[in-house]
Amino acid sequence: MTLTDYKYGDVIHRCFRCGYCKFPINWMDVNNCPAYARFRMETYSCGGRLWLTRAWLEGEIEWSDHLADILYSCTACKNCEVKCPLSFNIDILNMMIAAKGEMVERGEVPSPVKEFLENIQRQGNPYGTSRAKRGEWMEGTGIEAYQGQEFLYYVGCVGSYDTRGQETARILGKVLQKAGVSFGVLGNDENCDGNEVKNLGEETLFEMLAEENVAQFQGLGVQKIVTLSPHSYNTMKNDYPGFNGEFEVSHYTQLLQGLIRDGGLDVSGGYNATVTYHDPCFLGRWNEEYNAPRAVLKSTPGVQLVEMARNKDGALCCGGGGGNFYIDLLGGSADSPARRRVREACETGANVLAVACPNCLTMLEDAVKAEGLEDKLAVKDIAEIVGEACGIK
Amino acid sequence: MDIIACIKRVPDTSEADFIKIDPAQRDIEKDRLAFKINNWDEYALEAAVQLKEKLGGTLTAITVGPEDWNEVLRRALAMGADNAIRIDRDVSADDAYTVAVILERVIQRLSYDLVLFGAQSEDFGSGQLGAMVAEMLGIPHATLVTVLEAEEGKVHTQRELEAGTLQSYTIELPALLTVHTGINQPRYISLRGIRSAMQKELQVMALDDPGLSPETLVPMVKLEKLELPPKGKEAELIAGAPEEAAERLAKILKDAGIF
Amino acid sequence: MSGILVVAEHRNRALANVSYQVLSKGRQLADQAQMELLAVVAGSDVDAYAKELAGWADRVLAVKSDRLEGLLAEPCQKIIAHLIRKIKPKITLMGHSSFAMDMAPSLSVELGIPLATDCIDIFWQNGDILVTRSIYNSKVNATYSFAQSETVLITGRVGEFSVEEGGRQGQIEEIEFDFEEESDYKKFEGYLEAEAGGVDITQAEVLVSVGRGIKDKKNLEMVEELARVLGGVVSCSRPVVDYGWLPSERQVGLSGKTVQPKLYLGLGISGAFQHVVGMKGASIIVAINKDAKAPIFSVANYGIVDDLLKVVPALVNKISELKGKTE
Repeated sequence: MTLTDYKYGDVIHRCFRCGYCKFPINWMDVNNCPAYARFRMETYSCGGRLWLTRAWLEGEIEWSDHLADILYSCTACKNCEVKCPLSFNIDILNMMIAAKGEMVERGEVPSPVKEFLENIQRQGNPYGTSRAKRGEWMEGTGIEAYQGQEFLYYVGCVGSYDTRGQETARILGKVLQKAGVSFGVLGNDENCDGNEVKNLGEETLFEMLAEENVAQFQGLGVQKIVTLSPHSYNTMKNDYPGFNGEFEVSHYTQLLQGLIRDGGLDVSGGYNATVTYHDPCFLGRWNEEYNAPRAVLKSTPGVQLVEMARNKDGALCCGGGGGNFYIDLLGGSADSPARRRVREACETGANVLAVACPNCLTMLEDAVKAEGLEDKLAVKDIAEIVGEACGIK
Repeated sequence: MDIIACIKRVPDTSEADFIKIDPAQRDIEKDRLAFKINNWDEYALEAAVQLKEKLGGTLTAITVGPEDWNEVLRRALAMGADNAIRIDRDVSADDAYTVAVILERVIQRLSYDLVLFGAQSEDFGSGQLGAMVAEMLGIPHATLVTVLEAEEGKVHTQRELEAGTLQSYTIELPALLTVHTGINQPRYISLRGIRSAMQKELQVMALDDPGLSPETLVPMVKLEKLELPPKGKEAELIAGAPEEAAERLAKILKDAGIF
Repeated sequence: MSGILVVAEHRNRALANVSYQVLSKGRQLADQAQMELLAVVAGSDVDAYAKELAGWADRVLAVKSDRLEGLLAEPCQKIIAHLIRKIKPKITLMGHSSFAMDMAPSLSVELGIPLATDCIDIFWQNGDILVTRSIYNSKVNATYSFAQSETVLITGRVGEFSVEEGGRQGQIEEIEFDFEEESDYKKFEGYLEAEAGGVDITQAEVLVSVGRGIKDKKNLEMVEELARVLGGVVSCSRPVVDYGWLPSERQVGLSGKTVQPKLYLGLGISGAFQHVVGMKGASIIVAINKDAKAPIFSVANYGIVDDLLKVVPALVNKISELKGKTE
């Protein structure tokens, strides 16, 4: 591919690297691009990556492992898109995804990305664990298989396979049971939602996953979907309609907000803690849902909600997006976004960092350990907080 | 340079801790397993594609197996193979020898300079096939190749011995090499690549095409039974959340005088 | 006269360990069937090897030729084929080495005899010889019989058969062998020994060893940290070298180094036999792996079934804490 074949060939040169893409809410610093925060080099910011992409497509620089690492260190957190003041900002993240797409078609991707995508091709999850073990998380919970219930509870790969994700998936299931919600799950028949696949530039694999999932959901008569992960929520809500998959999709915090408000879920058991909430990118910036999770926390007796300096559309990504919870190109440093984020959470005086995404949960919990903050700060999914408030152990 | 690469499809058993053996003890139950191209064959294909990109010529991928093995040929086509041939056969009762007989018959009718195999297979791992085919074709071979450079009419290779030693050969073409992992970094094959490979022609041969019949293919090694390995000594497992397990392990190591 | 013929290998002026292993197995099989055990060794200077082999074998066939410098597959195949035709042993036995992988398959085709490679067991049953092989990532054992044949060829897995005392004093016979005119279609250019690097893992008392489960080069940082607090060095299994994340001098196993540290801490290593062969002599083996059925747990003393990326940082903290208390 040359610049002329590149979908954004006529606009990519328009970035003059003003640097706004690195800002949080205001001008307090320039560390809100997670990859830039980690490496502190212009090449790792959105502007830098756009310039590198252009140079690569014009043949000024050769492909290298390093170039691939730089592009794939983008977590698709959308901070750049929200902060870029120029008219082409709606496409700057797509420019990056299209560049990753070119690497995918040439077969030249970082080795963990290759593994991630091949694992999904083969086993329907990034871990490469067998499809036949996808439903193991629900053993002993009494959660039913989906057969026409009101909601399909879609768990996702992290909730199905990651130990911590599985705990959250189980608790959310129990909360929904307690609230009397009519729901079922797909168990071993659930497949990857494709959100990360799309952001890694593997467009055709994403299309296949979306088509297969839509066909499966429609075949089962699914109309309403509630997701554990904001990543699944995002792609099912925004991308699946393009594959004739019109479903009523909610993130679980949205469902819980309604249940608590309408008295369907008794949280009077309460949860005594000072809590700060970390906005997941795919719920926040991608879908502008800043309210539901906060409303759930506020309506839980005993929760004192405090905000971090960076919040809502200025939140710093945990560093797990764009497949980075697995490919982990941003890890291994005190400057890793997850570690920056948990230090920031600590500064609020909160003793609980609440999240609403299994990727954020694992990323931030690991960061708490790396920072040695276990005695000060616990990372909890909102499902776990609500679970405790309604008496589920 | 005209290259032939012989590849196979294997079940992914690396993470499968639920393997069951069918009641007749002839095969494992495969319905819950995913399948893939044999790991070593992926390196062989990448080596072949790199040689073709550098020196020109054609690349033909060959497999012996039933219809669902087309999948690995599609991968080969997506990776850069020009032709793909599948000899239609249920190989579940075959040994390396019978498969070698089939491959030799097919390969000897093609024009080639270099034949590449993976050094062994992930499923049975006997590591016999390549060198058998070479002997049948009457061409020189080297197995376990980790370095491969080609020039007009010959290849320079290094094969891996034990304890990090390499054995270096210059071999005149035509020749057959079996490729070890680590010789290169196989590229990612995108789904678009695989889908466009669906449009390419894939030649399916019956056994009698190269003049063979099932009766002539009698395995020399016959499977008697499959069993799960006897339970041996097992490690003392340290349970609990990562921190708890780590704490207990740290104490064990300290008590053992490690630090 | 039928018997069992063991093909011995040598390199770097010593018989290979695997040759002692298959020799011991061959002795056992020969005794059980009341057969003669023969050993063949070929090379430019084989006297010392022949004497050694006579400790196990009833007869040692020593083939001496300057053409046999370097133990190459082609000339050896000619010799072994000749001997098998002449002696007609019931079984010809070799170690499953890189030498055997090069030679045994073509030898079996040349002679038209059955071949079973990389066997973990070889046994008599009603007068027939049967073998067991480990297949599907060590998760299944398969037992095979052979088609009717005067003689069969078997290679035994490295490290699978224990070395027993021979206690014999066999006869040594020198064998003359006429090679045909040498062809130059395949020219041996020499051996390349592994370069001595900065770190000698064979000398370390503690090895923190990583496998495919490390997932990315960047995670090596935490592993280095763990090695540092334990006062050890980082080693690895083959895939880590294949990916280019660590140099080959750090590789433990059949194609790498054999190590005997006080502690071998395997992280994300499944425990394929090629790896286990190189580390099973460690005093304490600890394995951390997500797959509870990974074969490494059957050689390890202690195991943690979990994600190494979660356990390692915790382990670094706990060890540092405990060290802090004593220092």
